[in-house]
Amino acid sequence: MKFSLLIALTFFFATSAAALVVDQDTVWDGQHSFSEDVQVLPGATLTVTPGSQLYFSGTRLEVSGRLVAEGAELSGENWEGLRLKGVDSTTRISDCVIKGAATGIFVQGGAPLLEGLTLFANKVGIEVRGKAAGKVANCRFTKNLKVGLFIKDDSTTSVVDCRFEGNLRYGAYLYHARPQMFQGNMFVNNDTGLMIAYHGTDPEVLNNRFEKNKIAVQVDRAARPVLRGNLLLGNQTGFYIYRRSDPLVTGNRIEENGVGLLVAYSSYPEIESNDFLNNEMALKLEFQSSSWEAKRGADARAGETSARSAFAGKGMRSVSEDDRRAKRLDGMVNAGNNWWGREGTLELASIGSDGNPSFIHDGRDQTTFIDEGEEYPLDKVAHFPWRKGPATEIKR
Amino acid sequence: MMNNVFLKYTCLLLLLLGCLMSACTPENESGLSGQLLFQDQPLATAQLEIYLKADKDRSVQPFAVTTTDAEGRYQVSLPEGSYFVIGKKRETTDDGRTRMLMAESPANPHQVVDGIAPVASFNLREMGREGLPVADDQTGVSGLITYQGEPVSRAFIYIYTETDAVLTGPSSGEAVQADTEGRFTINLPVGRYSLVARKRADGSRSGALAPGDLNATYPGNPVEIRSGEILALNDFALTTVDAEVHAQRQADGVFTKTETLLRGQVVDADDLPVSDVYVFAYLDSRMVGKPVHMSVPTGADGNFSLFLSDGGTYYIGARSAFGGPLEPGEWVGTFDGQADHSVIVTRGANDDLGMIIVKEFW
Repeated sequence: MKFSLLIALTFFFATSAAALVVDQDTVWDGQHSFSEDVQVLPGATLTVTPGSQLYFSGTRLEVSGRLVAEGAELSGENWEGLRLKGVDSTTRISDCVIKGAATGIFVQGGAPLLEGLTLFANKVGIEVRGKAAGKVANCRFTKNLKVGLFIKDDSTTSVVDCRFEGNLRYGAYLYHARPQMFQGNMFVNNDTGLMIAYHGTDPEVLNNRFEKNKIAVQVDRAARPVLRGNLLLGNQTGFYIYRRSDPLVTGNRIEENGVGLLVAYSSYPEIESNDFLNNEMALKLEFQSSSWEAKRGADARAGETSARSAFAGKGMRSVSEDDRRAKRLDGMVNAGNNWWGREGTLELASIGSDGNPSFIHDGRDQTTFIDEGEEYPLDKVAHFPWRKGPATEIKR
Repeated sequence: MMNNVFLKYTCLLLLLLGCLMSACTPENESGLSGQLLFQDQPLATAQLEIYLKADKDRSVQPFAVTTTDAEGRYQVSLPEGSYFVIGKKRETTDDGRTRMLMAESPANPHQVVDGIAPVASFNLREMGREGLPVADDQTGVSGLITYQGEPVSRAFIYIYTETDAVLTGPSSGEAVQADTEGRFTINLPVGRYSLVARKRADGSRSGALAPGDLNATYPGNPVEIRSGEILALNDFALTTVDAEVHAQRQADGVFTKTETLLRGQVVDADDLPVSDVYVFAYLDSRMVGKPVHMSVPTGADGNFSLFLSDGGTYYIGARSAFGGPLEPGEWVGTFDGQADHSVIVTRGANDDLGMIIVKEFW
C-alpha cells in the first residue's frame, strides 16, 4: 500500500554532490529550496500542493514517475526547469507558474497534461519532443526569451486555448510535429506568433487569433499545414509562406495587416475562401518565380543543406527534392474564390479577371527580380474567380 | 684545414650512403601485410587503401594503395608510422548486379615500427546505397530482452560491426526496437556483430544514458551471423545504469583532463559570450560522426577548455547539443582560424584559440 510522506515547510538542501531522489509517494507543501537536482523515480508520485513555492539554484526537477502539481510556483536562479521523462497522463500540472528557467517544462515522450500554467521569462517555456502526446491547454506563455512553446520530433501534443504574448522570438514553434489539435489559441505581440517549419510538419491550425505580431504565422521549409478559420488582425505580416511551403490557406479572416499574405521563394499555397479586409497590401509575392525554382531551386537548397551538414551532420530526415517538388510550375499562385472586401470587389469588377488589382503585388507590378546577376520573372496571382461576399463568419 | 673538411664530408657521405643502402635491403623493409576475406573466403583483386587518419575523408587520396593476390593476400611497404587500413572491392555478381564490398580493419590503427607488421585477416561487407551493410531477410538475429527475468517492452537493440571499437554512439545500422513482449528479429548481412540493448526512461532512441536507464552489452559478443540462418540468442538481460558508475564514466570519458589543451571563448556575432555550448575536436575534416574530444559546456563567460589526448591536427566545432541533427534554437559554429577549421596542436600545448563565433540556427 502506498503512503504519503508530508515534508515540513521550508527545507533547504545544501549539498550538491548528488541528486535528491524521490522514490516513494511524497507530498510537498510550502516553500522548498534546492541546490541539487531532484529526481522523481518511476513508481513514485510527487504531489505539490496549491500555494507551494519551489526554488532551484542551478538545478532541475526531473520526473520519471508521476507529478501532480496544482497552483504552485517553480522558479530559480540559473535553473534548468522541470523535465518530464516519459510520464503518462496521470502526471498533471495545473495552474502553476514556472519562470526564469532554461526550459520551463521539458517533455521527453509520454503524455502529460499541462493546464492553466503560466510560463514566464524562461528561455523556452515548454519544449515537447520524443513523440510525446498529451495536452497543453489554457496556458499563458509570456515574455519567454526564445520560444513560448516548442513542439518537435513527431510529437502530437494538443494545444488548445492558450495565450502567447510578448515572446521574443516565437510564440509557438512546430518542428517536425503534428499536434492532434492546435485550436483556439491567441497570439499577441510576439516577434513571430506561430512558426510551422520543415517538411512533415502539416498540422491543422484551426480557429486561432493572431493580433499585433510582427509575423502572425510563418510557414517555412516545405511545411504543408492546413491554416483554417483563423483571425489575423493588425499584424505587420499575416501569413508568411516561405521556402517551398505549400499550405492550404482557407476560411481565414485576414484584416488590417501590413501585408495580409506574403508568398516567397517557390511556395505554392492554395489560397481560397478567405476574407481579405483592409490590409495595406492583401497579397504580395516576393522572390517568387517558377522559372527560378526550375533553374535554381534544387541547387540553392543543396547548397544550404551542405553548408548546414558541414558540421552538424546529416539530418535525421533529409527532405528529398521529390518531397519538395511543386505540383506545377506555371508561374501562377492560386488565390481564387476569396473575398477581397467591398472596395476590392468593385475594383476587380472594373478591371476584369486579367486586370492588376491594387491590393495584390505580383508580376503585374514588378515583372522581374534579380538573383545572382540573373533576372527571373516574378510569378502572378490567379485571383479569378472572386467571391461576391464574405467567405467566413469570423468575428473580430 | 681543407683536407680535414674534405675528409669529414667524405666520411659523412659514405656513412649516409651506407645507411641508405642498408635501408633498401629487403630484410629492413617495413610495412603491413595481411589477407582480405569475404564471407570468410579469400578475396582476390580487392583494393587495399592506407590512410594516415581515421574516418577517411573521401576527398583525400589514400597514402598508399595495393591489390590483393589470388589468395586475397597483400603486402605494402610503408615508412614508420600509424596507419588506417581499408579494404574495398567493386564487382559484378553472377546475376549481373554491381556491388561494393568494403570494411575497415577492426584493429585500426596499425603501427609500423620496423619490419612488416601483420594485419589480422578481416571480412569485407556488402555496402548498400547508404553505405550500410545490405541485409538478407533470411539471415540475422533474434532474441528476447529482459530485466530481472521479465520481458522488457520496446527496448532498442543497436548493431555494431567489427570496426566499431567502442559500443557507444551511432551504430552501424538502424537501431531496432523490440516489440511490446520484448522480442526482436533483425535481418543482417553475413558477418560478425556486437549487440547492445538499451531502454531509456524517457523512451528515446538515442542520447546519453542516465542513471536509472537500462543497458546491456550482449555477453556473447561478437555474434557470428551465417547465411540463411536467423541466430537465436539467449535472453538478453538488461541492468540498471548505476549512478556512481555513470558519474565515474563521465569523469573518465571525453571530459578527461589531459596535458594537452585548447582554450578559448564561444561568442555570438556581437562578441557576447554564449553559455551551454560544447566545443568538439574531430580528426576528420568533414567533422561528422563522433568527435574524439569534447569540452564541458561553456559557462556564462563563454570560456571553454578542450582537453586532447595527444598532439596532432584537429578540426574544431562548437554546438549547443551533441548527437543528432541540428535543430532550431541550437547554437552552432566552427573555429575559423583556418578555412578548414583545423588547428595543429603539439603534445603538452596549452593554446588559446581565441573566439569561436556561433550562430543560432532557426
